[in-house]
Amino acid sequence: MTSRERALGWLAGLGLTAGLVMAFGVAPREATQGNVQRIMYLHVPAILVAYLAFGVVLVASVIYLWGRAAGADRLAHASAEVGVVFTGINIATGAIWGKPTWGTWWTWDARLTSVSIMFVIYLGYLLLRAMIEDRERAARFAAVLGIVAALDIPLVHFSVYWWRTLHQPPTLLRPGSPPMDPTFVLALMVNLVAFVLLYGYFTAKRVRLLRQEEEVFA
Amino acid sequence: MPDNWSFVLAAYGLAALVLGGYWRRLLRLERELVARERRRGATRDEPRPTPTSPGPPIPRR
Repeated sequence: MTSRERALGWLAGLGLTAGLVMAFGVAPREATQGNVQRIMYLHVPAILVAYLAFGVVLVASVIYLWGRAAGADRLAHASAEVGVVFTGINIATGAIWGKPTWGTWWTWDARLTSVSIMFVIYLGYLLLRAMIEDRERAARFAAVLGIVAALDIPLVHFSVYWWRTLHQPPTLLRPGSPPMDPTFVLALMVNLVAFVLLYGYFTAKRVRLLRQEEEVFA
Repeated sequence: MPDNWSFVLAAYGLAALVLGGYWRRLLRLERELVARERRRGATRDEPRPTPTSPGPPIPRR
């Protein structure tokens, strides 16, 4: 493990602890939903980090197709994997939050459907990489898919504006100030920073392991 | 509205399981790669068998 990786891991651990303290100790009980609203501190950062991860896949894929840099391909691969993990957390926590607030675990609402499609597309991306034995070919095909798949990110984000949905509009990524008390926003931001650090740690570790895999199996 | 703490616990518990599971997967992969590298290094360092001497020339009849 490199020293940068170790530092990121510790920072992520500290961030997650701070996030838990903010979510359960500092942020007050929400007036309408009660304590179940505390799921937001997990649900929202998870999707924002997934957007970040898939954005990195897009940029790294373009760089790979441009100059065939193996490092960019490894970064795209690692980031897609970590993004899928965070999307899975977002979908699962959303279903758990939906049951007491909407009365259902799942509904074919535009936001929920588009997020699920995004999840399946990136699972397909990982599957495609695993299926093709020739590394160069796998990287090339995956890079094309990584660029096309990114088209779904704005679709997910703006689905709540473009269609009538049960899901509420964005809380943080919206024009103007967030429609929340500053304490809620602070708790959300602390958790977001913790999740970004965790994303950085997982991705750095996965990139190094992919490089090692290539060396061992060469 | 009731607090539904069980849902909060379920959400946080599930997230901890998923993130912890992924972390463990990376650690296991790391251990496997290190072990494989060590095995490769060991086979590389093993003394190679010396070519056997051809022996005395066979007399022609």
